[in-house]
Amino acid sequence: MPDKKITINATRFDPEKDQQPHVQTYEIPFYDESMVVLDALNYVKSHVDGTLSYRWSCRMGICGSCGMMVNGVPKLTCNAFVRDYWPNPIVVEPLNNFPIVRDLVIDMDDFMHKLQSVKPWIIRKQEIPLGAGEHRQTNEQIDEFRQFSQCINCMLCYAACPVYGLNNEFLGPAATALARRYNLDSRDEGLKIRQPIIGDAEGIWECSFVGECSVVCPKGVDPAKAIQQSKWDTTLRFVMPYGNRD
Amino acid sequence: MNRQVDQESYDVLIIGGGLAGIRAAIAAAEMNPRLRIGMVSKVYPMRSHTVSAEGGAAAALAPDDSYETHAFDTVKGSDYLADQDVVEAFVREAPLEIIQMEHWGCPWSRNPDGTIAVRPFGGMSTWRTVFAADKSGFHMLHTVFQTSLKYPQIHRHDEAFVTKLLVEDSKCIGAVAIDMRSGRFQALTAKATILATGGLGRIYAFSTNGNICTGDGMALAYRAGVPLKDMEMVQFHPTGLPFTGILITEAVRGEGGYLVNAEGDRFLKSYVPNKMELGPRDIISRAMITEFEAGRGFEGPHGMYMHLDVRHLGEKLIDRKLPFMRELGREFVGIDIVKDPIPVRPVQHYMMGGVDADITGKTPMDGLYAAGECANVGLNGANRLGSNSLPECLVFGAAAGRAAAERASVTAAVGSNPVDAMLRDETKRVEDDYLSKRDGDERIGEIREDLQRSMDDGAGVYRTRTGLVELVNRIDSFRERFEKVKLYDSSRTFNTELTAALELGFMLDVAATVAASALAREESRGAHARRDFPERDDSKFLKHTLAYDAAGSPKLEYRDVHLGRFTPKARSY
Amino acid sequence: MATEINASGGTPAPPHEVGRSGGDETVTTRVYHRPMASGWWTRRRNYFMYVVREFTSLPLALWLLWFLYQVQQAQHRAVNYHPTTSIAFVVFSAIVLFFALYHSITFLSLAGSILRFRVIDRPVPARLIVLAQFALWAIASAVIAAVLIGFAR
Repeated sequence: MPDKKITINATRFDPEKDQQPHVQTYEIPFYDESMVVLDALNYVKSHVDGTLSYRWSCRMGICGSCGMMVNGVPKLTCNAFVRDYWPNPIVVEPLNNFPIVRDLVIDMDDFMHKLQSVKPWIIRKQEIPLGAGEHRQTNEQIDEFRQFSQCINCMLCYAACPVYGLNNEFLGPAATALARRYNLDSRDEGLKIRQPIIGDAEGIWECSFVGECSVVCPKGVDPAKAIQQSKWDTTLRFVMPYGNRD
Repeated sequence: MNRQVDQESYDVLIIGGGLAGIRAAIAAAEMNPRLRIGMVSKVYPMRSHTVSAEGGAAAALAPDDSYETHAFDTVKGSDYLADQDVVEAFVREAPLEIIQMEHWGCPWSRNPDGTIAVRPFGGMSTWRTVFAADKSGFHMLHTVFQTSLKYPQIHRHDEAFVTKLLVEDSKCIGAVAIDMRSGRFQALTAKATILATGGLGRIYAFSTNGNICTGDGMALAYRAGVPLKDMEMVQFHPTGLPFTGILITEAVRGEGGYLVNAEGDRFLKSYVPNKMELGPRDIISRAMITEFEAGRGFEGPHGMYMHLDVRHLGEKLIDRKLPFMRELGREFVGIDIVKDPIPVRPVQHYMMGGVDADITGKTPMDGLYAAGECANVGLNGANRLGSNSLPECLVFGAAAGRAAAERASVTAAVGSNPVDAMLRDETKRVEDDYLSKRDGDERIGEIREDLQRSMDDGAGVYRTRTGLVELVNRIDSFRERFEKVKLYDSSRTFNTELTAALELGFMLDVAATVAASALAREESRGAHARRDFPERDDSKFLKHTLAYDAAGSPKLEYRDVHLGRFTPKARSY
Repeated sequence: MATEINASGGTPAPPHEVGRSGGDETVTTRVYHRPMASGWWTRRRNYFMYVVREFTSLPLALWLLWFLYQVQQAQHRAVNYHPTTSIAFVVFSAIVLFFALYHSITFLSLAGSILRFRVIDRPVPARLIVLAQFALWAIASAVIAAVLIGFAR
């Protein structure tokens, strides 16, 4: 019984040598049913071609490092099982809509900048001292924002969003979901401060509700919902009398 | 960060961007807002391995709790190797750090009245583990990272790989780092440097740790002449998924899960009858191995395993308290933990050993501090209790941050002249030994896998003299092979083969200290279990092992443990 | 299906020179920008359906214009003028009705998760909101239909 093999077609790009990316094909053993695409890449790097570069760390879907396009779909490669693609070849490319730094590694600067721009920290008019203990908050109050707090910053949503692909100024799904996470946190009082960034033309209003961000999100954050909810809230605040009260 | 320059100078430099590192940065910034703080990490901070911690953070918050019981549990858990003055300080600071995290937005799970809830955990005599569902580390890391974005005086060097500490006149004056994007070597000078680089799990083949946990900071300190303390104390977590090694949190047992062998027996009644599944990790891991050796484990394609059963807890509790576990079971094992038992086996998880540091994070070298898992401040001794590590990162990260800030406030800046030469030398060393070397014939991956397998065999849950001697020799042979390692990637841009090679060098150094320290400690204490010396020997070994770099093999010394109000007794649960 | 790496060359950013100390060698680091293929929306079913959904506004707009024209025609004709005398209009109306229904149903179905109302202290369940939306839509449609048919008589 011949050993099973799997073919990986990986994007290669070294700015020192290449004018543009090209594809390199590797055929490696499909050595275990629970093998994931990340395992395949690691096998290539350890035993076949040490020059292949990509990001990874936790291998359990929580650090957000290993996002790549797998057969045209943004996925965490630690959670993409080879058995779901075998015997067909697996095409592994860097995440869409980001510039390529090297091979499967993309430039995350814009994403990091956008995360920071929504002021993702608790903003209060008056801080309570440590000695006063914790803010009282119920699990139901946490449920209000829990879903939006699950984002692992993997950027699959940005790779899936055609609006971001066409317009890099767009604030994007993860940043908006993070802003909403703080806006909905009962301890936070910073909604009005975040509003100019969210409500900007390049903020939520650039979104035309394609919805693919929520489809690809590996943690069920549903950033599309966060954006549409923000649109509704923002409109209500604008339209209702005294709507913009704290 | 500026990729264009050769040197950047900071008041405080923090190496590592996990919970301890970021906490230190914030503490330094709060202590003196005028300080220029640099934080260099080989990955973006959200990727730090803190993110995978699940169970929770222990603190004496509940009204029926006390500092004394938390301290006693910790000291007993450490098999009396902990420095009790450090433990006493820790238990008093931990509750404040939990409240601070809450103020910064960490979504701690709550009681109906809105106060922070606590859950039971292994080795803790009362419920004191604060938690954020079963993703505590994830929420804590994202909370501190996002909070750190508020401080413009914290300058981050993301994806910069530190290769060496800069030392002048026996003082640490910073570090050399490779900016991975450009391949440029930069000297980051500082008046005070904090190591917060995490653990070394990846020296083992079967570990919960992520790819980045390669003992970098420990090796950096070691090579600079700072000793590594208690390196033989490696923690094995009882419940890892077979094959992947993915962690199944202790909280599963805390919520009432049962550990069951192939005979359907809750076998822990023969080992820790009073605590059962909530016994300390070292004893439970040994119990599982003993059961495997007696043939009472389940056989699987990836080794023997036990069943961790939570079916009796019900779907509602699981979805409320253990949703991430349900997700992991579904994605990586194809089971629904509501209906199926979870296959688990002992897996390397945490390193009690680390850079010798004191209660303020100070190491024996002036200007160098250490905090978090890479440090050994004396808190965990020979065995760490679950849920003590996250507050450890906060308490000692903050302590190191403040101590470094204090030092930076009274120290003169580093002159650039000697640094220029040091930078040139280090650049040349890395280029000659790795990037430009054409005549090697060993592959990094192969040496690494051989090292990992050997560590699993020789320095696992149970150790023997023969096994450890063999391990020491094997590590020496790997070192020789490593001299002949060949890199295929000569690019300057994001060269992950180069970083893998540098990491392998670090791993070999720390692995050697683990093996040597384990061989020399001829007793069993906490997580260090010797089949040939099964008893604890306080007369000879109530001491910390200190491993110094002596050109090749570690040179060992010993230092007495700081005792306190808890006198060492026999340890049973 | 794989996304194309545009073989005709993306637009590499101008080489960004990063000099090293000593200055004898320069290290260039540039990133590669992949342009979005103009057929991006044909590559995945979800993108295609999205464009269809957005596109439905165009035939709807055209239909409205045509409808207004029919209304204007009705002014100049005999009392019993019926738009149904134009077969093309009927067919086009049927197509546009299908598009409008598709767009409206997807839009209203999502209202449940987007709109959040609280009654006393508990959130209104999503299903209730969606049902309410559809009910309002049905009522509004009935009212408008009655008015239009009334005028047509």
